Amino acid sequence: MQTGYYISGAGHVGLICFMLFGGLLSSDPLPFETTTNVSVISGEEFAALVAESTPDAVAVQPDQTETPVVEEAPSLSEVAPVEETPAPPPPQEVPEAETPPDVSELTPPVTEVEPDAPVEPAPPVVEDTVTTALPEAEQAQEQQADRVAPEAVAPPPPDTQVADTVQEAVTEGEDATEQAEEAEATAPDAAATEIVTEAETPASAPTQSMRPQTRPTRPAPVETAQDTPAEEPQTDAIADAVAAAVADAASDDAPAPSGPPLTRGEKDAMRVAVSSCWNVGSLSTDALATTVVVAVEMAENATPVSGSIRMLSFEGGSEAGARQAFEAARRAIIRCGARGYNLPREKYAQWREIEMTFDPSGMRLR
Amino acid sequence: MRAILIFLAMVFSLAIGSVAVAQDGPLRLRITDGVIEPMPFAIPAFQAESAAAGQLAGDISRVVAADLTGTGLFREISPDAFISTVSNFASPVQYADWKAINAQALITGAVNADGQGNITVKFRVYDVFSGAELGKGLQFAGTAQGWRRMAHKVADEVYSRITGEGKYFDSRVVFVSETGPKNDRKKRLGIMDYDGANVQYLTDSSAIVLAPRFSPDGNQVLYTSYETGFPRIYVLDVNNVGRRAIDLPSGTMSFAPRFAPDGQTAVFSLTTGGNTDLYTVNLASGALTRLTSAPSIETAPSYSPDGSRIVFESDRSGNQQLYVMPAGGGDATRISFGAGRYGTPVWSPRGDLVAFTKQNRGRFHIGVMRLDGSEERLLTASFLDEGPTWSPNGRVIMFTRETQGAQGAPSLYSVDISGRNLKPIRTDGGASDPSWSPLQR
Repeated sequence: MQTGYYISGAGHVGLICFMLFGGLLSSDPLPFETTTNVSVISGEEFAALVAESTPDAVAVQPDQTETPVVEEAPSLSEVAPVEETPAPPPPQEVPEAETPPDVSELTPPVTEVEPDAPVEPAPPVVEDTVTTALPEAEQAQEQQADRVAPEAVAPPPPDTQVADTVQEAVTEGEDATEQAEEAEATAPDAAATEIVTEAETPASAPTQSMRPQTRPTRPAPVETAQDTPAEEPQTDAIADAVAAAVADAASDDAPAPSGPPLTRGEKDAMRVAVSSCWNVGSLSTDALATTVVVAVEMAENATPVSGSIRMLSFEGGSEAGARQAFEAARRAIIRCGARGYNLPREKYAQWREIEMTFDPSGMRLR
Repeated sequence: MRAILIFLAMVFSLAIGSVAVAQDGPLRLRITDGVIEPMPFAIPAFQAESAAAGQLAGDISRVVAADLTGTGLFREISPDAFISTVSNFASPVQYADWKAINAQALITGAVNADGQGNITVKFRVYDVFSGAELGKGLQFAGTAQGWRRMAHKVADEVYSRITGEGKYFDSRVVFVSETGPKNDRKKRLGIMDYDGANVQYLTDSSAIVLAPRFSPDGNQVLYTSYETGFPRIYVLDVNNVGRRAIDLPSGTMSFAPRFAPDGQTAVFSLTTGGNTDLYTVNLASGALTRLTSAPSIETAPSYSPDGSRIVFESDRSGNQQLYVMPAGGGDATRISFGAGRYGTPVWSPRGDLVAFTKQNRGRFHIGVMRLDGSEERLLTASFLDEGPTWSPNGRVIMFTRETQGAQGAPSLYSVDISGRNLKPIRTDGGASDPSWSPLQR
């Protein structure tokens, strides 16, 4: 059993000795392809060499008022106040501009300054900049939108069941005196009189599916003569007031939204959608201090009606700041609503009108 | 049984939570979280309405775009992405094409040159998503030499209409140009457009100059010069570079001057007998008025926009802090109470904030605070930031930043008061001590 160990140990020892002393692990250094002779020089010699190879110092002499690279002389002139005038001024009113002095060439006086002798300012260079208001920009023609019928096309009558024999549809009539079993209309299979391809869709084919109807409002209970006892008088004041209120509400043009309200998640989704487009990065500090309340009417496809966006109120800033804040809010509503917000269509009555309060106080100079 | 009850309670609470409260009137939402990002805009190259305007039209539209993007509030959409081309200034705008590339604002313009050095620049701004023009189209007439100013004016109008902020592109900056190594630095006054273009020099570099400050009308500059070996205040006319020294008692040192809003008076520091106090001088008569009389050092005064108060720095409490006092002198109120030292205060043109330099724990900061010391915000931090100056609209601050080491050099930076859009101002060589002019007229 141990004989194997001895043989293995002897073999390993022999192998290690061969590697160590047999030259297997030794290596010769890589040969140099080229050699360079160097010599040692003193510091003085090196300084002399450097001095010979260094060009003359031509650093910017501070005393030389070297003319800088100047693209244009700065406008040193009086400029007409920016005013919006209805018509451009006649050309003869534009005075001839004088060449501004090349200030860079002017050297300040070297002589002692006279404190008591103020320098008479030279007449400024005249360079009138006249500002003129332009006429209104031509409005672009609205691009043609797809023609969509205001009302969905009624679906075609249901296909007739194929049968060997022709049979009229049987429905339950009001005045039916004879009870007949209800049955669908049937007709034998027949070929069309012309070939109609997909590209030649008949005009009567529906182009869009029916929009799901909103949940109908619950009808007010109508009291019938049988329900109301004839002997009970209708003179209760409370009942009259309730009836009047109901009548007023019914006659109101904008009735209160009915149906199930939006859940918190649905409101949050809308809020997040608008927030993602509400960019306050380009607002003035005044506008950033202004909270605006904006009203918007929504179309049924959940897109905002651009013309309906209006500012209801503002607080915390000036009117100019409120105007800028409102513009940013309007951009946010339009941008992120261009393809329709993710709002439940069946609750349209709940979000047909939305009031949004844009409060940037938490984002001010963050 | 207990588990079933808990499960039912959870289901019930979820159901209650998911059902909104009964709605009365329109749906009401409160939006409090928006996004802060540059507004994308498109600016097709302005139309050249005459052959002589070909080059200028492109140059002007480039300067307008650079002005707007330089604010950090706007992002230019590459012309490669344009669907529509604007071949005529009067052409109607195809809003759908600009909406498709998410351009929220569209700027169109045209340039006409009469070949005799006069040009007209006209432009319109459109709110793409509203499908309407933003304000009215405007036309500027001027000389071809001043085309950059006209471009700045166009950009000012666009910027102001979209953001609601005041204008500031058509303004200049006077600064100290620095050349040479740190131990032998040469300084001279320079003046340039706010964006670093059109640099010209107002003085030579025979003497050290410091702290130039514009007059309220932008035609004069107050600065300190060591021409006589001692600091002395001079008034320089930027139109003809004529200058004169302020007549002050001999044997005194004067520095840190700044114009009063009326332009007739200057406030400055005067050192006499080893003590530094604040004085005002009538620039016409030379009459001096002493504002402070304390054994401490009072310096770096700055007027409020209405000229009624002065903010300054003083070490009367033991280290540098900021104080506010009436313009005619009197009791000063300390407004800075944070850790570190505060200096070089500058009153905002809007009057609501003070910009300052703060040194704390070996770092320098540019910051702003309200006049009562509240809402202190540090906008920058570096090895050395100092000397803030306000843009004419009070939205941007320019300052000096110096890099560390023997090869360190000063340069100008600007930052929005929100702390965003920190960026260097392009200058030839070193630059320090900026002073922003008012909007040019």
